[in-house]
Amino acid sequence: MASDMATARPTAPPTSLPPRPTAPHLQIWRWTITMASSITHRATGVALYSGTIVLAIWVFAAAQGGETFAKVAGFLASPLGVFILAGYCWALIFHTLNGLRHLYWDTGRGFDLKTATATAWATYAASVVLAAIVVFAGLSARGAL
Amino acid sequence: MTHKGTKTFIAQRGTAVLMLPLVMWFLYSVVANAGASHEEVRAWLAGPLNAALMAALIVIGCVHMRIGLNEIIDDYIDGGSRGVVKLLNLFACLGAALLALFSLFTLAA
Repeated sequence: MASDMATARPTAPPTSLPPRPTAPHLQIWRWTITMASSITHRATGVALYSGTIVLAIWVFAAAQGGETFAKVAGFLASPLGVFILAGYCWALIFHTLNGLRHLYWDTGRGFDLKTATATAWATYAASVVLAAIVVFAGLSARGAL
Repeated sequence: MTHKGTKTFIAQRGTAVLMLPLVMWFLYSVVANAGASHEEVRAWLAGPLNAALMAALIVIGCVHMRIGLNEIIDDYIDGGSRGVVKLLNLFACLGAALLALFSLFTLAA
């Protein structure tokens, strides 16, 4: 690039180029629900990455002795553990439902503003309701409620 | 890692579709096993169907999350460290999948 500019303006070649401008995306765009759902899809994806590793560790602990399992299960049953599991549960449901949106988009449909906005709101609402049902059912089955 | 865009695109959607029934089974299983003792969990994971579904969930999930994080790495990490970070991503996903498979085989034996 520098040599191109030098040949285009032979009289005054820049000694050093100014830093390239970067898009100030998060600071400047007005937040929309479609933008939020896109960011949330990515954020929940990263959260589920850790969740899958925790799940693998849980399976490993089950295969080990009762002591190892008691440690892992004990942590997951603590208030912090339940908070993490509830968040994991919502992230899994949100990412799955929003994944359905992505698969629908892959068919070339659902891109118009009205539909995309409606499905974004529906995904948030349904994910919260379904996650609440699963967490409530889990805590009831455990006898914690 | 170049010229694999179409393959990666299809793999991400294929794994996503496979994950749909597995996630439903998983959420049901989490509720069904809430508060289960170690012996109950061992017996549950030793069942051939549960072991197969758990293995599928974790292995397919690991393939899906490797592609997903690679995409994020492409977006935010430039230059020489990109390849190293992608390699770490591969190790993490491979490690989680192998740990789960090894454990499930141990439980079945």
